[in-house]
Amino acid sequence: MMRGLWILALAGCGAGPAISLDPLQARAEGVDTLQVYVAGAADPVLGASAREGGALVFRPRYPFLRGVPYRVVAGEVERVITLRPDDPPPPARLTRICPSADVLPENQLKFYLHFSGPMPRGELYRRVALYEGRRKVELPFLELGEELWDPENRRVTLLFDPGRVKRGLTPREQEGPALERGKSYTLVVDGAWPDVWKRPLGKDVRKTFTVGPPDETRPDPKTWAWELPTSGTREPLTLTFPEPLDAALLERVVRVEDVRGVVALEKAETVWRFTPEAPWPAGPRALLVDTVLEDLAGNNLERPFEVDVIRPTEFRLTTRTLRLPFVTK
Amino acid sequence: MISILLATLLQSDLKSAGPLAFGPDGVLFVGDAAGGAVHAIETGDTKGDPEKVKHDVQGLDAKVAAALGAQAGDIRINDLAINPATGNAFLSVSRGKGPDAAGVILKLDDAGKLSEVKGATTKAALPNLPTDKGRAEAITDLAFVDGKVIVAGLSNEEFASNLRAIPYPFKTAEAGAGVEIFHGAHGRFETKSPVRTFAIYNDHVLAAYTCTPLVRFPLESLKPGAKIKGTTVAELGNRNRPLDMIVYKQGGKDFVLMANSSRGVMKISTDGIAAAKGITEKINDKAGQTYETIDALKGVVQLDRLNKGHAVVLAGAEGGPLNLSTIALP
Repeated sequence: MMRGLWILALAGCGAGPAISLDPLQARAEGVDTLQVYVAGAADPVLGASAREGGALVFRPRYPFLRGVPYRVVAGEVERVITLRPDDPPPPARLTRICPSADVLPENQLKFYLHFSGPMPRGELYRRVALYEGRRKVELPFLELGEELWDPENRRVTLLFDPGRVKRGLTPREQEGPALERGKSYTLVVDGAWPDVWKRPLGKDVRKTFTVGPPDETRPDPKTWAWELPTSGTREPLTLTFPEPLDAALLERVVRVEDVRGVVALEKAETVWRFTPEAPWPAGPRALLVDTVLEDLAGNNLERPFEVDVIRPTEFRLTTRTLRLPFVTK
Repeated sequence: MISILLATLLQSDLKSAGPLAFGPDGVLFVGDAAGGAVHAIETGDTKGDPEKVKHDVQGLDAKVAAALGAQAGDIRINDLAINPATGNAFLSVSRGKGPDAAGVILKLDDAGKLSEVKGATTKAALPNLPTDKGRAEAITDLAFVDGKVIVAGLSNEEFASNLRAIPYPFKTAEAGAGVEIFHGAHGRFETKSPVRTFAIYNDHVLAAYTCTPLVRFPLESLKPGAKIKGTTVAELGNRNRPLDMIVYKQGGKDFVLMANSSRGVMKISTDGIAAAKGITEKINDKAGQTYETIDALKGVVQLDRLNKGHAVVLAGAEGGPLNLSTIALP
């Protein structure tokens, strides 16, 4: 029962807007405290109600969320308010799926999904599916409650279930590998997947690929082809690999010592191209590569993904970062 | 690599609230993956009797959301830990699902009342977490034993696992990269193996790998820089997605209770587990520790011991409310 008009002000500071009841109104209504509830909930929102300069103010412990209806109660009077949503940026889109190659090894380890804007956690496993023709592959991916997002929630790592990739494990014995050589698969990402402002991505995104034999060898820098730049120019330094390598690791763990620049990946992640910010100085340079650099099957510079301990000892690296010298032309 | 911070306003310092574990004297450890740290909060929750406590809350997710001024779809309960000294339940929650989600710790008493947790806090920064570009490390589980906090981590880029043992009170996070965990299949194929969830049993770590076997390795092997190959003690089969594990005693024997997302809850025997040579050959289903599936418990997402004879579970059907209840240990 409304007993009079309210003047409701939202003062921004600290933990975001607070709700206040004008001093005259507070006195007139004879109320001492404000309580706030999410509309439809029985438990009050955590926060503190206090008199501030005569006005009655409720400061929530966590900022009010825009678009959520809140029921404000002052004595016997209540009112529902909803903060108008900000103007959000355009809806997020799925921009890239890595690896971008059309042929993947049978022991492919992961996909990276890249988005143009932040995405919410908690939806991943119901929004992606893998099909072989019409048949949906059951549980091909490792489902982790944490989900493996980057700090901006714009890239997520989808791991194939290692229990079905690794040889000799029960899941693989019982269900087989998720990917079988010679077959063709489609990864489907649901267009209804909402972004953080609850707008859907749009249309479904599909990546179709065929599967080749498993990759069991370590990537080896000796097999990389170099295109050297000319000193005094900003020509790129280009490395070409005989197989695609992990996109995220190529962007992070391969770098030129003491030279800043921009990395681009091309030709389905078989080419790493580095363009310096400033012209190349004369003199010797070095490329630094951390040995965690992996190929698509998780073989890294130190060891293959699966080490057969019965075969004669493989070459083992002891350093964590390789330093590969080069000279500009 | 040392980072020690004293703050009375915990919540402003916690960038995310993930796995929980209790230490001595009401100290609650929280894994903060976004902040790259483990926090230790002096909760002050030290007096009580867990034998007298029973938790029963329908729609706990909606209740938590309401207290945080949000709707159920906007929050996620990341972990549940029962204080063994008092029986009170503590929850780590993400408020919001985007990159700015707030990490919140709440206490639930047995009257069903939710309150914020405040207390003096120290933290240890996790070393070797390159924060440039897109790399992030999820903290999959946490435990406190023998004066150390054990933290299991999983990278979103390189396929690697690590386990760190950080002495508490925090002086310095253990130097180096912790230990690398490996798995050996058929005694032959050795691969890296991230740890999904683990529990401490006597002097061993019992760990569920992401590739599904249950393994054990001695606590004393957790020395910085070590490479540990766990001994497989149970092959839990396909579609095994372990979420949470506790160890309990019944009839004079110890059992492991493991929550699995699609397979319900499994009760695993520990008979001979410490001495077991481990499963190295492909064998029939009878090898390794025996286990049974508790059909009555479905949809369990969180699990913790309450007292001698009971556990607390958070469970619900997909898309439905999450209910907290007290069950007799099976």
